[in-house]
Amino acid sequence: MALNPDKIDAAFYEGLRRHYSEEEIVELGAFIGFNIGYHTFFGTLKFYPMFAPDGRLVSQEESARIYGAAPASLAVAAK
Amino acid sequence: MSHVEPLSAAEIRDPELQELIRRGEALGVPDALFSRILARAPTLAKAVLRALLHSHTEGNVDHRLKEIIRVQLARTAGDPYFGGLRSAQAIRAGLDEGRIAAGSGKFEDDPRFTAAEKWALRYAREMYLNPERIDAAFYAEGKRHYSEAQIMELGAFIAFHYGMQAFARTLGARPLPKPAG
Repeated sequence: MALNPDKIDAAFYEGLRRHYSEEEIVELGAFIGFNIGYHTFFGTLKFYPMFAPDGRLVSQEESARIYGAAPASLAVAAK
Repeated sequence: MSHVEPLSAAEIRDPELQELIRRGEALGVPDALFSRILARAPTLAKAVLRALLHSHTEGNVDHRLKEIIRVQLARTAGDPYFGGLRSAQAIRAGLDEGRIAAGSGKFEDDPRFTAAEKWALRYAREMYLNPERIDAAFYAEGKRHYSEAQIMELGAFIAFHYGMQAFARTLGARPLPKPAG
C-alpha cells in the first residue's frame, strides 16, 4: 500500500479472502492507511519514544541516540 | 466496482453509523461508497468516519483551505475516489475548481494564495513527496502564520486523509454518480 499500491489489485484482494473475512480486510486496510499517514507526519515532528528498551524514562536526546536521529520515512525507503 | 463490496443501506442498522454516513453524504466527502465499505467493520467505521468529518469540517483552519489540501493529497496518493469528491460546504463558501486545481499546481507563485496558505499547501505536498524538507526551519516558518494548535490540526488532517486515500486507492473505488437534479 505504501510502496507499490498498484500491486494491490482484485487478485490481491482475492488472495486476502483466503485468510481473512471482509470485516478483517477492511480493518487491516484502514489500519495500514492510518499508519502510512501518521508515521510520516510523526517523523517530521522529530520526537522519540519516552522510554528506553529497558524501561528507563529517557530524555529526547538520549532517545534519539537509541532509536535513531534520522528515522527513515516511507518516501525515503521507496527510493 | 470496488474490490470490497459495500454493504447495502438496509444492512446498516446502527443509528450512529447511519447518521455518520448521512453526514458524509451531505458534505460530499466521503460519499456513501467508502462509508458502506468501512461499515463491514462497524466499530472501526464509526471511528474513521467521525475522524474524517471532524478533521475536515471542524477546528480553527479554514475549511476551504483543507478542501484544497485534501484534493492535492488525493492526487499525490493517486486516488481518484477522494480526488473526485468535493465538499459541498466548501463550494457553498465560495471555493471553485480553479482554486482547487491551483492548489495542486504551481501555487508558490499564485497570487490567489496568501503566504500562510502557501505554507500549508507546501506542508501537504512535501509531507509525502519530500518529508525530509519538513524540518525545524520549515516549522519555524509555519509558526509565523499559524498557532501550534493550527499546525497540529493541519498535520493531523493531512496524515489522516492521506492515509485513508492510500487505502481507498487500493480498493479501486470511484465516486458514486450524483443524483440527478
